[in-house]
Amino acid sequence: MMDVGRHPRIKLLAYSEIEHVSGFIGNFNVKVRKKSRYVDEDECTACGDCVVDCPVSVPDEYQQGLSSRKAIYIQLPQAVPSAYLIDMQNCLGNNPIACGKCQDACEKKCINFDMQDEILNLEVGTIVVATGMSVYDPTEMDEFGYRSYENVITSMEFERLICAGGPADGHFVRPTDHTRPKKIAFIQCVGSRSENRGNPYCSNICCMNTIKDTLLLKDHYPDTESKVFYIDIRAFGKGFEDMFKRSKEKGVQYIRGIPGDVWEDPQTKSLFLAVEDTTSGKVEVHEAEMVVLSVGLEPRKDMKSLQQMLTLSSTSDGFLLESHPKLKPVDAPTRGIFYAGCVEAPKDVKDSVTQASAAAARASIILNAGRVKIEAITAMINTDLCNYCGRCAKVCPYHAITEADRKLGIYPKVIQAACAGCGTCGAECPTDAITMRHFTDRQIMAQVDSILETDNMNKIVAFACNWCSYAGGDLAGTSRLQYPTNVRLIRTMCSGRVDEKFVLHALRKGAPLVLVSGCHFADCHYINAVTWTQRRIERLWNKLERLGIRPERLQLEWISAAEGQKFSRVMKELEEMRKKVTEQEVKETMAILEKEDEKEKARKLKQQEVLQTA
Amino acid sequence: MAEQGKFKCLRCGHEYQDKFTPGVPQERSCPKCGSNSVRRIEEKSNIKKTS
Repeated sequence: MMDVGRHPRIKLLAYSEIEHVSGFIGNFNVKVRKKSRYVDEDECTACGDCVVDCPVSVPDEYQQGLSSRKAIYIQLPQAVPSAYLIDMQNCLGNNPIACGKCQDACEKKCINFDMQDEILNLEVGTIVVATGMSVYDPTEMDEFGYRSYENVITSMEFERLICAGGPADGHFVRPTDHTRPKKIAFIQCVGSRSENRGNPYCSNICCMNTIKDTLLLKDHYPDTESKVFYIDIRAFGKGFEDMFKRSKEKGVQYIRGIPGDVWEDPQTKSLFLAVEDTTSGKVEVHEAEMVVLSVGLEPRKDMKSLQQMLTLSSTSDGFLLESHPKLKPVDAPTRGIFYAGCVEAPKDVKDSVTQASAAAARASIILNAGRVKIEAITAMINTDLCNYCGRCAKVCPYHAITEADRKLGIYPKVIQAACAGCGTCGAECPTDAITMRHFTDRQIMAQVDSILETDNMNKIVAFACNWCSYAGGDLAGTSRLQYPTNVRLIRTMCSGRVDEKFVLHALRKGAPLVLVSGCHFADCHYINAVTWTQRRIERLWNKLERLGIRPERLQLEWISAAEGQKFSRVMKELEEMRKKVTEQEVKETMAILEKEDEKEKARKLKQQEVLQTA
Repeated sequence: MAEQGKFKCLRCGHEYQDKFTPGVPQERSCPKCGSNSVRRIEEKSNIKKTS
C-alpha cells in the first residue's frame, strides 16, 4: 500500500466516497466526495501529540471494540496516508472554544476545523470494483452465547486478540479475567451453509482461517488444547491439506458436529458445549475456556447503492454477478468495469490478489488500445417513428440510451459503446422505432412465418436466449438427451428481445403453443433484462385472456446453459400440452388475432393521419 | 411491502398462495411441477353487477 501511495501515476483518494458514476467504457465520469479529515494529510507527520491530549474515548472499530480510540485517530496502524483524522461525530465540538486541545497540541498546525468536504469529478476509462465484504454478525445465533458470554468471541475478534498490534499487545487473553485460556473451542460455519439463519453459501475462507489459528496457538502456546467443531473441513487450496494434517498432528482435535447449546459456569466463566459427534453418534459435552465463532462473509450492506450507481447485477447471495463465470470471471456485465476480491464472492487473499491482477490486466488492455471493439448487435433508433415516450431509456439495463425531450425536440440516442444488444428497448418501443441489428423484427417474423408455413398444428415455436436457454438446448443435444423434434427454436440474444408482437404473430399464424425462454434471474447476462421479459409475458397473459385466448398457450421458462435435462423435460411437457390444443381452437385464435391486427392497422393509420394534419 | 397473492401454474393448473411485492418481478416456479409459467391471478370480487 505504501508503494501505491508513493506511485507517481496512482492518485490515492483515502477517506473518500463515490457519489455518482455516469458515462460508459472509456468515458466514465466519477463524482467523488473526499471527506474532510480536519487534518492536513500532507503536513501531518503522525507524531501523535494530538492523541495524547484528546479527552474523548470511544470503542475502536479496527480492534473490534476490544479497546478504545480517541476522536482524533488513525484508522489502522498501516493506513496510507499515515495521517490522523477527526471523527466529528464524537469530537467534543469543532468550535475550538469547546475543546480544541488537539489543535493546541499540534506544533505543525495541521488541524483545521473549518475544512470542508471536497467534490472531485474524475474522468476515467475503466473502473475496478474492489469494495470488499462484511462479516456475519452472530448475535442472532443465541445458542452459541455470543450475546450472553464474554468469553465467546468471533474469529475477527480472535485475530485482534492474538495480533501483536492488538489490544492485548499479542498476549492472548480471555476478556473476562485477562488470563490465558488453555482450552479453546472453534465453532465452524457460523452464518454460513444454513438455510434458516445466516447465509446458505460456504464462505470459503473460514476452515483455513481456523486451521491457521489453531497452528498459531500451538506455535505461541504449545500447551493449548484446541477443539474444532465442524460440518466438514474444506481444505482444497494449494498446500491447504498439508496444513490441515499438520494441525491434526500437533494435537488439534476435530469433532464433526456443530454444538447445539453453549452455557457458562458463572464461577469460573468457563464454557460448556453440548454437541452430537456425528462420527460416533454420541452426544458429548466439552469444556472450553474460550469459544471462537468462525463467522462467514457477507456482501457489504451498501452493495445495492453501488450496484445502482454502476448498473451492475448481483447473484441471489448478494455478491456481484460477473459477465461470464468461466470466460469473463473478472468482468462486470457493464463494459469497462471489473471486479477484484470479495465483492464478487467470498475468497481468500491469494484468490483476491489473482483476481486483482487479472482485473488490472483486463483494464489496461482497454486503456492501452484506446478504443474498443463491440459486437455489431446494437440498437438503432429511427427518429421518424419515435414519439419521445422515453420507454427505451427507462428499460435499458445499461443506461445506454439518453433521455428524450419532447419539448426541446431531442430524440433518444443509443450510446453504441455502452449498448450490449439485449434488445429490450426494441421489444418495449411502442412505435417500433428501434431496430436491433441482426435481430430485426422482420428477421424474427420471417423465422416465425417459415416455421408455421406448413404443418403448423404440429409445431411449437420457442424463443430461446443465446446465453442460457439456447445453450441449454445445445447441452441437451450434446448429452444425447431426447426431446421432441417439432420444437422450433428462434434464437435471440436475450429473452428481453421477444416482442409482444412476435408471440401474437406466431399465434396468428397458427402456432398451437409458444414458449419464451431465458436465463434465470440470477444468471441474466444483461443485468436485469429478464425482469422486463417477465413483465411483458404477464401483460401478454392478461391480453390473451381478454381476447378469449387461453393464456396457457404462452409458456415461460427459465433454463440455464447447464440445465440440459430441464430443457429436455420442458420440451416433452410442452409437447404433451400441444397435443391437447385442437385445430378448432387454433383457427379461432387466428381469427381473433386477425381481427385485432386489422383494428391495430386502422388505429395506426388514423394516428398517422392525425399527425399529418397536425 | 410484500403482500399475499394467489398464483396459478399455466403448465399443471396448480393454484397456490405466495408472497409477492407489487411492481417487483420475481422468478417463480410452481411448487407442484416446477414450471416457471406462473401467473398471478386476481381475486375475483363476489359482488355481482346488477343492471
